[in-house]
Amino acid sequence: MALTELNLEFKPETPKTIKDEWSHIGVVASGDLEVLIEKENALKGKIKIHILTTVVGFDDVWETVVKKFIDKTGLSGVKVSINDNAATPAVVIRRLQQAVDNGGGLQ
Amino acid sequence: MKINWEDLQSKSFYQATARERAYGMVDKDTFKEFLGPRDKMTSPHLLILGEAVEFDDGITVGVGKIKKHPVFVISQEGKFVGGALGEVNGAKMAYTMKLALKTYEKMKEKYGSVPDDKKPICIVSFDSGGVRLHEANAGLLMHSESMETIWELQNKVPYIAITGSTIGAYGAQGFVCLSADVVLANDFGRIGLTGPEVIQQEVGKDEFDASDRALIWRTMGARSKYILGDVDYLLKDTIGTFRDTIVNIVDEPMSKISKTRKVGSPQLVEENLEVVKLAAEKKIKDSKDLWIIYGNENVDQIPEMPQEKFLSVVKRRPRRI
Repeated sequence: MALTELNLEFKPETPKTIKDEWSHIGVVASGDLEVLIEKENALKGKIKIHILTTVVGFDDVWETVVKKFIDKTGLSGVKVSINDNAATPAVVIRRLQQAVDNGGGLQ
Repeated sequence: MKINWEDLQSKSFYQATARERAYGMVDKDTFKEFLGPRDKMTSPHLLILGEAVEFDDGITVGVGKIKKHPVFVISQEGKFVGGALGEVNGAKMAYTMKLALKTYEKMKEKYGSVPDDKKPICIVSFDSGGVRLHEANAGLLMHSESMETIWELQNKVPYIAITGSTIGAYGAQGFVCLSADVVLANDFGRIGLTGPEVIQQEVGKDEFDASDRALIWRTMGARSKYILGDVDYLLKDTIGTFRDTIVNIVDEPMSKISKTRKVGSPQLVEENLEVVKLAAEKKIKDSKDLWIIYGNENVDQIPEMPQEKFLSVVKRRPRRI
């Protein structure tokens, strides 16, 4: 069974970016995920998200969860890489928020 | 990204992630990670098998400073594939050890001798169940490379092993852990070769009942290992306590640090075999019987009593060497 790979791109209405150059949080334990946020100048106002997950058939849920987070926070100008091992949507949102906080917050 | 060093000092060692442990054990803000998450060096084998991958492959390695010592830290993450050793994280482990050796040799070449207050140190925080079965041969190769390096580190670079995280040090990593000059543990530390489940599966429930938590802990847990002399320091569960103990050890001369070594000479092998002989002679059925032989009283209470009380009443296996 292969891993599911998702590449998403969004353009939030009120773009904000993290303070630090990069940020990382989480461990790929069972039911958990890791989030790596890296600033990229070429992505001004936009956000690229790369997801690698063990779960098959939840592509729409991923898109909804991530879109909801980005609409709420306006996170942009960054590349987000996610390695996931069957985390639930609540955990995903929590980890994304932690990663943003760990990167010095939004500005 | 910033990790708050002061907060880490009072954080539980058992609950900390591999990265937090590595950052917290060296001096403030001196830790420099090799091949961190941004380098995205994941395991190629897990990817093919459709298993979840991690950017640091479940290990944090790097260099920091304690006083004037360059300190090479290897910290395993037990939550990712049970902390098991594969090709990538194994190479990170083995080659960080090699870097400690190389630093020692470079210092010796440049200055003629390595002073006690400046010698390199190698610290490994274990949290691993052994070799990763998805990439077994590659993992074993890296295991043997680290064993070889440990042999070369002997009497040159102090190698300090720590067990005190979720998984402990099992399988191949049990060897690597006990080859250290000094072994530190908290009450959650475990060292073993074969894990409880595997013993039960292979030899039967009469031999070892894997559902009996108390039996597991009094056989493989840190307190039993402390009585037997496999663990040298039994510590309180904060990163700060571990750090303070390491800070006190590192300035000692190498000959004094390596006094607590458990393997590495025929005399030590003989001394270890005496325990095996004793266990066979007295027909030991449980760790408790062994504790009584070494002079402990109230053995039923030993696993439960608070750590300070345990340390004040415990009698340990006498060492000759």
